[in-house]
Amino acid sequence: MERPRPFAAFPHLRSAMTRFHISAMQQKVARTLLGVILLTFCIVGQAFAHAALVASDPADGTVLANAPAELSLTFDEPVSPLILKLIEPDGSGVSLGNPKLDGNRLVLAAPSSLGTGSYVLSWRVISEDGHPVGGAVVFSIGMPSAGVSPGAATEAIDWPLRAAIWLCRVLVYGGLFTGVGGAFFLAWLAGGARVARTFVAGVSLAGLAAAGLSLGLLGADALDLGLLSLAEPKIWATALSTSYALTAFFAALSMLAALWALYSRGPIKARAVSALAMAGVGLALASSGHAATADPQWLMRPAVFIHATAIAFWVGALAPLAALFAGNDKAAKPALRRFSAIIPYVLAALLAAGIVLAVVQIGHFGALVSTAYGRVLLVKLALVALLLVLAAFNRWRLTNPILAGDGRTERRFVRSIAGEIVLVTAILCSVALWRFTPPPRALADAAPAPPVSVHIHAERAMASVTVSPGRAGTVSVSAFVVGGDLAPLDAREVTLSFSMPSAGIEPIRREARKLDQGQWRVDGLRLPVAGQWDVSVDILISDFESVTLKSEITLR
Amino acid sequence: MLKTILLAAAGALFATTAFAHVTLETREAKIGSGYKAVFRVPHGCAGSATVKLRVQIPEGYIGVKPMPKAGWKLDIVKGKYDKSYDLYGHSINEGVTEIDWTGNLPDDYYDEFVMSGFLSDSLPVGEMLYFPVVQECEKGVTRWIEKPAKGADPDSVEHPAPAVKLLPKK
Repeated sequence: MERPRPFAAFPHLRSAMTRFHISAMQQKVARTLLGVILLTFCIVGQAFAHAALVASDPADGTVLANAPAELSLTFDEPVSPLILKLIEPDGSGVSLGNPKLDGNRLVLAAPSSLGTGSYVLSWRVISEDGHPVGGAVVFSIGMPSAGVSPGAATEAIDWPLRAAIWLCRVLVYGGLFTGVGGAFFLAWLAGGARVARTFVAGVSLAGLAAAGLSLGLLGADALDLGLLSLAEPKIWATALSTSYALTAFFAALSMLAALWALYSRGPIKARAVSALAMAGVGLALASSGHAATADPQWLMRPAVFIHATAIAFWVGALAPLAALFAGNDKAAKPALRRFSAIIPYVLAALLAAGIVLAVVQIGHFGALVSTAYGRVLLVKLALVALLLVLAAFNRWRLTNPILAGDGRTERRFVRSIAGEIVLVTAILCSVALWRFTPPPRALADAAPAPPVSVHIHAERAMASVTVSPGRAGTVSVSAFVVGGDLAPLDAREVTLSFSMPSAGIEPIRREARKLDQGQWRVDGLRLPVAGQWDVSVDILISDFESVTLKSEITLR
Repeated sequence: MLKTILLAAAGALFATTAFAHVTLETREAKIGSGYKAVFRVPHGCAGSATVKLRVQIPEGYIGVKPMPKAGWKLDIVKGKYDKSYDLYGHSINEGVTEIDWTGNLPDDYYDEFVMSGFLSDSLPVGEMLYFPVVQECEKGVTRWIEKPAKGADPDSVEHPAPAVKLLPKK
């Protein structure tokens, strides 16, 4: 058999090389490199196209008489599935298990017991070129249903993930209130005393670690993946795109600053840095969450800020105070005197802000008992009442004798503060449950919702998009399109897409119907989940020119 | 030599990301010189065969002539330019504004469509010159006409228009 000669397939290359008397070494290098290049082109050759959805069963927009046994998506090339999710009529999302790959088709077993209503099959796959592509197919069983906010849904709950999220949240609260608050107390009220420093620093460090981890957990929760998915980059990318990333960022900065203040030598530096850290506590908690994002924003965000910093001031003082008195520290009495002088004002601010938050979030008294959020609030309020009784006892029965020099009272005082710490921990543990309970405010009203609009402006064109009614469910979307200079714009095609990355819903695209010049409409569009949707308006101006306008719209 | 090969290899690797789109083979060109635009069509529209490729000639790409292709009917649309250009000493203010190829290219095949022309030296150096392409298929149309925002990742739009980066004149 003939031995394969180098460049047998490329005689012209071979002859070129001989002609120029290239040395053996150079030839070897060139051959290797040529191999690399050819290999590269082979890889390129395989990686030709983005995948596109060619068909689906059930087809987009169909109404079926009975629940399907299986769902399938057919692409124009083989794909590997990334996330496949079925959003049920109540807004809850179910991850669909491992699909069968049948050539270009993905076949999924439909979850059993699919009830009447509309479903969104949201898909995200990786096509051969490594690019993720996604989309969504909407179908209904029996008849299309109205939408429900995602909070009302009964989802399958991933308890280990929930426990981890809850624990991280408690630890972050601990780091912010005990850690940052403690550093502030030591620098400002205890004259730079070193007691309890290791404890305060430890709590801050734990909070810091929990803040980082909580981001990943949030991503896992948002994509409906379990605890084991923490190693996947997409989890973290998803989390970073949420407003909670800002909270984690401020919380981490704040706790780092607290650590810095604790271990800095100069008292002035410690005070300055710890004050900044305190502001960080307020910013962290005012950046995201049910309360901070409620309307009216001008009231709610500052209220959360004040509530959080006041808590940090109070809670942060407890451990260092107990340690000062337990250790018979010289600085104990002056610190207590200063703390006693300030705490009434701080407490007043704390309670005032707390009442504002509670009133807006709860809405009406019945919700206190009827919703999970309200019940958590009731437990919290009971614990807070106990805490206030204990604090009042400390102040009016113990503080004055201690400052007068009664040594026996000091021991009772330390025990009483220990009691306060236990209560505060219980409060934080209960409050961390709010992560899982949407406030009654958000649950309210399946009542008629006014339409919501968004105006999007770009250089070439602008559009006013109105979704009516402005809630999840079946909606009509109208788009009024004009040129950037307000001149009439006779667009050839207008396509509207809605997606909700946070709920894992890929773009639902619909070509709009032209009513009149500049007036476009999509009827019977199902947007199944309440919350913020990304809207994109693709306007085809002429054969060769298009404009894409993007914005967000919030549905109740 | 080694350096060139390495650069070529790097270039080939780099090129992979854009291969799923209709693209130009030569991504950079000097203004004030000839430019052969080779449009690479890697696939049809969602699996459907390509039956027509329409290329809009951008302002400033002048003296354009398409290369005929066996099995494909050529249509040339001529019109007025926005301003006048200097082509080898002549001032011209009209020319080819669109070239259409009509034929058939199954989704499983790859093909290239070629035209030659001259990049006017009045074009802005450092910018991208976009050649919007409409790919008409047996079923459906794909419009490769989106222009990413300045400095944005070309992958930020779904169907980017093929483009060439304009380099300074020799």
